[in-house]
Amino acid sequence: MGAARPWLFLAPALSLYVVFLVLPMLFTLYTSFFTWDGLSPMSEMVWVGFGNYIRAFVDDDVARRAFVNNLYWTVGAVIIPTVIGLFLAVALNSVTAVNKALRTIYYAPAVLPLVAVGLIWGWMYNPNFGAVNLFLRSVGLDALAGGWLSSHSMALPATFLTYVWSHVGFPMILYLAGLQAIPRELYEAARIDGATRWHCFRFITLPGLAETHVIVLSLAVINGFKVFDLIYTMTYGGPGRSTHVLGTWMYFQTFQYYEAGYGAALAWVIAAIVLVFAVPYIRRMSRD
Amino acid sequence: MDNIVASAADRRFALVVKLFLAALAVIWLMPFVVILLTAIRAQGDMISNGVFSWPEAIAWTNFSSAWDAGNFSVYFRNSLFLILVKVPLGLLVASLAAYPLAKMKFPGSEAVFIVFLVGLAVPVQVTLQPLLIMMKSLGIGNTLWALIPPYLAFGLPFQIFVMRGFFRLLPNELIEAARVDGASESGIFFRIMLPLSLPPLATLAIIDALATWNEFLIALVLISANASRTVPIGLMQFQGQYSSQYTLLMAGVLISIIPVLIIFLFLQRYFVAGLAGSVKG
Repeated sequence: MGAARPWLFLAPALSLYVVFLVLPMLFTLYTSFFTWDGLSPMSEMVWVGFGNYIRAFVDDDVARRAFVNNLYWTVGAVIIPTVIGLFLAVALNSVTAVNKALRTIYYAPAVLPLVAVGLIWGWMYNPNFGAVNLFLRSVGLDALAGGWLSSHSMALPATFLTYVWSHVGFPMILYLAGLQAIPRELYEAARIDGATRWHCFRFITLPGLAETHVIVLSLAVINGFKVFDLIYTMTYGGPGRSTHVLGTWMYFQTFQYYEAGYGAALAWVIAAIVLVFAVPYIRRMSRD
Repeated sequence: MDNIVASAADRRFALVVKLFLAALAVIWLMPFVVILLTAIRAQGDMISNGVFSWPEAIAWTNFSSAWDAGNFSVYFRNSLFLILVKVPLGLLVASLAAYPLAKMKFPGSEAVFIVFLVGLAVPVQVTLQPLLIMMKSLGIGNTLWALIPPYLAFGLPFQIFVMRGFFRLLPNELIEAARVDGASESGIFFRIMLPLSLPPLATLAIIDALATWNEFLIALVLISANASRTVPIGLMQFQGQYSSQYTLLMAGVLISIIPVLIIFLFLQRYFVAGLAGSVKG
């Protein structure tokens, strides 16, 4: 009974995890090698080998566009909220009432449902009555006031700006936690030796946050490739199909066009990329 | 750093930083101000005077109209039900699993832990189609019950990670002393480990309640019946019907975010500490 005991404790979690996460993942991998509508019996699936993957990377212009959009989005997600979050963490590190209030303000958008965030910013970007254009017109920048989400060139950047608004708080919190682990004496000693503010940041703060960087950057890549809610609620992939990402295109293929086999392949493209970039993150988390 | 004499350049730098922080805070607050100023006035007032003007009259009725027209009572009840069932159940299952991973030595424990950690990165997209088929064949398709198993499965990795980290900090002597006194393993778990774990459990409960309230994609795929819609799905539906009634729409958005904002503002101490501490491990 001694040997079985840990497995008894693990059984509920393991069975839920395997049945509702691992097995569906594997089933999706299997269907990604078939043409299938997702509705008819599995006996009607037609084997196509890597056909769905070739279609995604070679034949389907929307999928290629979606992939490129994911890349832009992810590069942006790795750099912009991370840099702002790091700056905010360093600037708000001392615990004063003002700093605590500011942290609350920067973090607040992160707790909202992304659907609500998308609708709020859809309204902010409204071409006629939205706050963004109203502001631009009031300061004489009428030329810039356009249909943000209906423009081929601006829809994705405008949606990404919304992402920044809602995702700056998370790296800020992680960096604030990381900063607590850097001994204050290091800064005091450096200042006595004549180090400038920049030197302190460059040679004490940045290296001191090495562990946090791994977590923040991995999560930025992981979330950058998973993005769905904001695109779905703000642009629905449009105008045209110019703002699709793999997450939304997979959803459209599987549940609107009933191309479940192809959708499965798109889903696994996301999963494969995310899992590769998650390796350093998982290694960090599993270390004691 | 502060006790060293600040030079003029230092002070100027500090001022620039403060101005930047203030400007950024104004930008960050602006969407909240805009939805409030939109939601509390008549549509005609908003269109003719612009959203930044003060309302001619406060139209509280927007909220009751949105509440009724949007069926929000159904969505609130559904989301609340999910939270009440899913959150405690998930925390119990995760704690049960975290206990042996933290406190028992057995072959395979490392591997099981890593298998759970991989779940932190799995995109839900890769499970959606099979989940839809499974829930239909289990006879719970299109009901709230369909959401509970995937929500549990996707919540487990993070919760197991946090609870394992916490259990490891509890002294082994506690467990050994209880064993000497003849306590069973389940007795140790329920009478010693769980009661000592209230702080991390409270934090995880808050994080999980917010995540459950906010979850969109799984519910979008698994739920199409009006009676089973959760708040985000209902909000999307509401937007589809009233997309050009901006004041009503923003009243609906405000209704859907007020619970999370209240929870965040009052409980953020636990919430933020939990997020930060959990990742530090």
